[in-house]
Parts: sequence; C-alpha cells; structure tokens
Amino acid sequence: MKFDKEYFSKLFLLFWTFAKIAALVVGGGLAMLPVIEETFVNRKKILTSDELLDMISLTQTVPGIIAVNSAVYVGWKVAGFFGAIFAVTGVILPSFLVILFIAILFPELKPDNIYIKGAFAGVRAAITGMIAVTAFNTVKKSVKSKIDAALVVAAFVACAIFKVNPAYVICSAMPVGLLLLVWKKEESK
Amino acid sequence: MSSYFTIFILFCKFSLLCFGGGYMLIPLIISDCVEKYHFLTLEEFGNLLSISQLTPGPVGINTATYVGYLHGGTLSSLLATVGLIFPTFILSSLAILGIRKWKDTLIVRGIMRGTRLSSVALIIYAVTIFLGMSVFTKPIPWQILSGKPLPEDFTISFTGLVIAILSAIAVKKKWCSTTIIIISGAIIGAVFAFVMK
Repeated sequence: MKFDKEYFSKLFLLFWTFAKIAALVVGGGLAMLPVIEETFVNRKKILTSDELLDMISLTQTVPGIIAVNSAVYVGWKVAGFFGAIFAVTGVILPSFLVILFIAILFPELKPDNIYIKGAFAGVRAAITGMIAVTAFNTVKKSVKSKIDAALVVAAFVACAIFKVNPAYVICSAMPVGLLLLVWKKEESK
Repeated sequence: MSSYFTIFILFCKFSLLCFGGGYMLIPLIISDCVEKYHFLTLEEFGNLLSISQLTPGPVGINTATYVGYLHGGTLSSLLATVGLIFPTFILSSLAILGIRKWKDTLIVRGIMRGTRLSSVALIIYAVTIFLGMSVFTKPIPWQILSGKPLPEDFTISFTGLVIAILSAIAVKKKWCSTTIIIISGAIIGAVFAFVMK
C-alpha cells in the first residue's frame, strides 16, 4: 500500500461514504447493506459481491454494532488499517454529533409539556410494536427445537423474573450452546 | 479518571455481548445504566430510544453518546461511543486479517448457537420492558406469579395498545418505513393527550 494521492482519495471516499450512510440511513445495521453494495460494488467496483457476502457472514459472528462491523470490513478491504479507521470514524461521527447536540440542549429527557409527553408515549408504543415484530421474526429464525425453546424460556425467566444481569445470561449461554452442539453431533453419528 | 475508565469499560462490555442487532442491547443497558448506576431513569431511557429511532445512525451509538454525556459530559460521551466500537474493531480486524476460517470452528459455532438463543430471550425481554412503558402504565409486575396481588395502579393504556398493534401490523406488512411509523406514533400520542385534556 503506497501513501500516494490515490490512497488518500480512497481514505476520503471511505470516510465520506460511511458518514453519508450513517447520516441518511435511519434504522442502522441491515438497512445500510444495500447502500454499501450500490457504492462499493456497483459504482466504484472496489469490492466484489463475494466479498460483500463474506462481510455479511462475518458481521454475524463478531459481536458488536452491525454498522461498525461492516465499516471495519470494507475499510480493511479497500485501504488497510487506516481505511478501517476512516470508515469507522465516518460511521459514528454523524450520530455522535447529532446526539451530543441533543444531549447538550436536553440533558434531561423528562418533558413537562403534556403534548410532548403524549408524543413520547406514542413513540414508545410504536417501538413496542416494532420490537415485537423483530422478536417474532428472530424466534422463527433461531428456535428450531424444543431444547432451543426451553433455553430461550430459561434465559427470559432468569432476566425478567429473577432479575439476573443479562450479561451473565449471555455468558452462560456460550458454553451451553457449545455443549448442545457437541451432544447433537454425538447423536447424529 | 477512574469514572471515565468505568464508562469506557461498561460500553466495551455491551459491545462484546451484542450478538444480533441493537434491540438486544436494551436489557443490558437498562440493567447497568438504569438499575445499577442510575445514570438515567427508565422513562428517560424510553424517551432516548424514541429519539434514537428518529435520528440517523445506529441506536447503540446514539445511546452510548447520550448516556456518556449524562455520566460526565463530552469526554465521557466520546469514551462511551469509542468503547462501544473498540472491541468490535479489534475482533473484526483479527477475523479479516488471519483467522478466515474461524467461523467454521466448533467453538465459534457453539458460542454462536448459545448467544443466538440468549439474544432471542433478550429481545423478548425488551418487548416486555417496553410493554410496561407503553401498553401498561407500570412495569409488568412479575411477582404476581408467586401469588402477590396485582398493584392497583397497574392498568392498560388503550391508546398505547392501539398504537403498538398498528405499528406491529405496519412493520410486518411493510406498509411504510419505520420513520413514518414512529412519527405517526408521536402524532397520535400528542393528539390523544389533547383529546384527553
């Protein structure tokens, strides 16, 4: 990798494209993928569609915000380490500036005005519906057997009813998942 | 100094535990930032999430920035945001650079299987938390399962119920973008507050 004019224009392209995606795509994560494909695969032709598929499968195995995973991947592929840094900076900068501005203006999100209160209550209800659909879809996609269902119920009961910190629940789910996989393998042999 | 370190580590932790989308972060953030450290109240967190849905960018980043600011101003805000991306940056980079086949190893597949199921549970938990802030007037009193009576001020809000059902149908049937759903929710909520007055 040469630090020439072309390299710097790639860095700028990464920063600018990811900043634009983050600023314009409301909803984050998966909503960004079509825009990444259009820009880096179809228009600029610096990523292949195979690499894009590889990126999607990678973002699902590395923990973290999907948008950040994608930016790191595209950044590395296009321009190495600094590419990843510029792409990630682009992804977080618009949200960071907008929310920082809101936080400075409204350091307390406790409105007194009853209409604003009503509007927030309405939005919370709308979000409830949206998350319920996501929950429904993930149950359909991930819960494949009675054991899966039992584990989901156990994790839910631990968090909701026994107030176990969700962090412990996720950590204990890791060895359980591994045991399940090993055990199933023995069974199918 | 140590409190800046705390907020950074806290958001690193959220990042490392986030398998499968922003919604599963909700119970994690509530458990630490609301219940343990009291950076903000549950109602404020609900309102923050409402704002996050209307502003650009990933919900996780928005939450980190705002909660960080509440905790200790602009520097904390930056540290929380960087904390949320730092572990992802390192792990993604390692995955890209070397261990190309790592996602096929038994250990990674086993961990993925477990975390996927626990994130399903956390997303369902997030739904019940939000039900307690919208459709019901108070958090769902799970203690009734052990025979305790239902608190008297626990009732259903019919506006909340109608908006939540409409929103779920609109998302499921792909009637319109989530931005429009959120804005409609806000308008219906405000109009209802006016009518009730």
